[in-house]
Amino acid sequence: MIEFRDLSFTYWGQERPALKEVCLKIDDGEFVLVAGASGSGKSSFCRCINGLIPHFHGGVLSGSVSVDELDTSRHQPKDLAARVGMLFQDPENQLIAADVERDIAFGLENQGCPVEEIDRRIGDVLELLGMAQFRRSPLASLSGGQKQLAAMASALAVRPRVLVLDEPTSELDPASAESLLSAVAGLRRDLGITVVLVEHRLERVVKYVDRIVVLRDGSVVADGSPARVLGAAELDGTGLGLPPLASLALELRRRGLWQGSVPLDVGEACRALAPVIRGKQVPAHVQAATQPGEPLVAVEDVRFSYDGGPEVLRGLTHAVRAGRVLALMGRNGSGKTTLVKHYNGLLRPGRGRVLVDGVDTAMASVATLARSVGLVFQNPNDHLFADTVDDELLFTLRYLGAGTGESRDLLEQALALFGLERYRAHYPRSLSGGERQRVALASVVVARPRVLVLDEPTRGLEHDRKSALMRFLRDYAAQGNAVVLVTHDVETVAEHADDVLLLDDGRVVGDGPAHRVLAASEVFRPDICRLAMACMDEGGEHILTVDRLLEALA
Amino acid sequence: MQVAYSFRDSGSAMHRLSPFVVPAWVAAVVLGVLVLEHPIALLALCIATVPVAVGSGVLRPWASTMRYVLWMGLAIVVINAIVSNQGSHVLLQAGFSLPLLGTPRLTVEALAYGAAMAVRLAAIISAFTLLNLCVHPDDLMRVAIRLRLPYRSVLVTSLSTRFIPVLLADAATIMDAQRSRGLEFDRGNVIERARNRGALILPLLSNSLDRATQVAEAMESRAYGSSARRTFYRDAPLLAEDVVALVLLGVAAALAVAAGPLGLCAYAYYPSLDSLPLPADGWLALGALVALLLSPIPLAAARRRRRD
Repeated sequence: MIEFRDLSFTYWGQERPALKEVCLKIDDGEFVLVAGASGSGKSSFCRCINGLIPHFHGGVLSGSVSVDELDTSRHQPKDLAARVGMLFQDPENQLIAADVERDIAFGLENQGCPVEEIDRRIGDVLELLGMAQFRRSPLASLSGGQKQLAAMASALAVRPRVLVLDEPTSELDPASAESLLSAVAGLRRDLGITVVLVEHRLERVVKYVDRIVVLRDGSVVADGSPARVLGAAELDGTGLGLPPLASLALELRRRGLWQGSVPLDVGEACRALAPVIRGKQVPAHVQAATQPGEPLVAVEDVRFSYDGGPEVLRGLTHAVRAGRVLALMGRNGSGKTTLVKHYNGLLRPGRGRVLVDGVDTAMASVATLARSVGLVFQNPNDHLFADTVDDELLFTLRYLGAGTGESRDLLEQALALFGLERYRAHYPRSLSGGERQRVALASVVVARPRVLVLDEPTRGLEHDRKSALMRFLRDYAAQGNAVVLVTHDVETVAEHADDVLLLDDGRVVGDGPAHRVLAASEVFRPDICRLAMACMDEGGEHILTVDRLLEALA
Repeated sequence: MQVAYSFRDSGSAMHRLSPFVVPAWVAAVVLGVLVLEHPIALLALCIATVPVAVGSGVLRPWASTMRYVLWMGLAIVVINAIVSNQGSHVLLQAGFSLPLLGTPRLTVEALAYGAAMAVRLAAIISAFTLLNLCVHPDDLMRVAIRLRLPYRSVLVTSLSTRFIPVLLADAATIMDAQRSRGLEFDRGNVIERARNRGALILPLLSNSLDRATQVAEAMESRAYGSSARRTFYRDAPLLAEDVVALVLLGVAAALAVAAGPLGLCAYAYYPSLDSLPLPADGWLALGALVALLLSPIPLAAARRRRRD
């Protein structure tokens, strides 16, 4: 059993506590989801369970945490490792050895486990996770999802009684995330271990968990079964968005159309809500075709491979159009990032061509193309290096050839647009995660590129910030620009994208209006669409969002 | 084409040898090319690394590295020809003098010496490339620990090697991010270029520190340092073939060291080149040395046959 007794913790150098008077018990075998906005204390909560707080991250601690009666402030993480296995966000930073079996062996070797026992446990844990064929594989050869499973195998090999997972699916596509989460659920069911999971995307996990703990500013503001927490008003002000199915159920309940417990998956929703949905018609305007804008980027039969290796893009043709938000989706390794690097000339096609505003990218430098195509990378830290936020934005303008007077105007506009005026003299890297992301975005948008490409812009963002970002991007597209989102976030795409380009193994497998492409995809179809298609006689494939479904029910 | 510098398990018999053997082979090759002077001997030792690359099934990745060595070798020949004005056979002579360098002269001897240096460098790089390609980094770590080097230092070194590809990938991503903002790293004068590099180096350093912290957290969480008696999984056994190979490579190293004082495979480049043909004892010593350096190939095959 894990017990937090009135725990507060403040990191050295910080004034605000990361955790504040946390009191709760987690029973053996429970599957607990810890949710909350960025900076709400979720990661600190996890690090208290295996003793990284206070032994690795120093600070002021009051109260206590115990795991199986062991006070974590008196036992080092290395001593708690036999009881608590931990899985972090980025698999790359937790794999120590160079291949799967040696990495799994690392923790056991550290504990002085006999070699025969290590051998047996490696076999067992890989079998358990369906990874036996990867036993001798170099870690570098594995996909992101496989690496995360390998890291979980390493954590499980020491047979911990508690498994703590800190946003383990944030870098995974929906299929890999589903596979990891169902593996965790299977472990809990088969081995009876306690699971503590941190996750932003509630819709991915609520069906698996027994309990949700919601943190806000380091304090527990909600704690209970998923149906109770999602059905109550306790999530208001936490920055968390309800899963679409829960959101729909609550709205139907509010309108007096339905009564019952909040459904947690599509199956439950079908059973509970079918009587309300069945027989309804999709409004005609929902089905109306939209006018495509002028093409700003034209990709024509592009083939590409890295260093003479296998082809990553295999004869790809599509257009990025003005006035539209295009979502670029596909499994990890399907060629999404490779494709967008062709838009601004970072990569040149092996065959075929890419035209930006009618100019062949093979004939223009990246610096020239950067005036038309802005690319925001996933990690804001890859962008930021200047001494102040002002300098960071001016840097882009200087290299894109803006005049001094024009630069000042564009700078002021960008600072106002992203709410960064008060931080203009701050060192960008000292800002919080969300603020850094805004600076990175501003450092590209400041030059007003006609095509704005963002790689996983909603990763790690809570609902409110995500909504604000998407509102900005929709407005930006409406001004005659094009926005391209490289993302795995199905619900955001359903809500905000006009078009979807779906890639698989370097080929286009779906290209068109979002509802058409998403509805046709077994992997990327949103839950609301699954529900509508299951319960409506016809036209369900046009419904991707709660609002659309409510329109149909009105 | 990328440079291949990391372990590739081709499944060859060489890859199954004890991890002590290949480092010993590298030591013998390096010792040989550092001690011997004769160009035929240097060339023979350099060429002797090729069958090992073939036998290890890593010819392609090995060749991808050696391609760059060709350019480095050419640079050595050119630089030596320019800066060395020794030698009695002058091909070209400038009509002016340079401070420190004197009158620039292009001599046959300087060209030959430069070529010998290039072959020497090629042999050393070839041997170390094969070490990287044929021995798993964790096995190399184990070798270092068995040689009584401190575990913590060895682990840190091993981790640094493991994260080199990650660091290079990080650098490539940061460069892409900055180029996407219009930055041209090679634009401007020296000062501007140095400032441009800041856009790469600062984020790279900062990201690396973040990564180091996360790796340390993961290691703590996986019981690093919890037991005074750490065990080692996959501790490759030293079989009879490995011992024979180590003995033969030891003999090769001893022969190379002895060849210097005995005047075997000696050669003078300045003031005039010695005659090229090796004396009979030189051929004998060189033949024996090459045979000893190639001995791990049949021994590896024999080891695999016996194990299978």
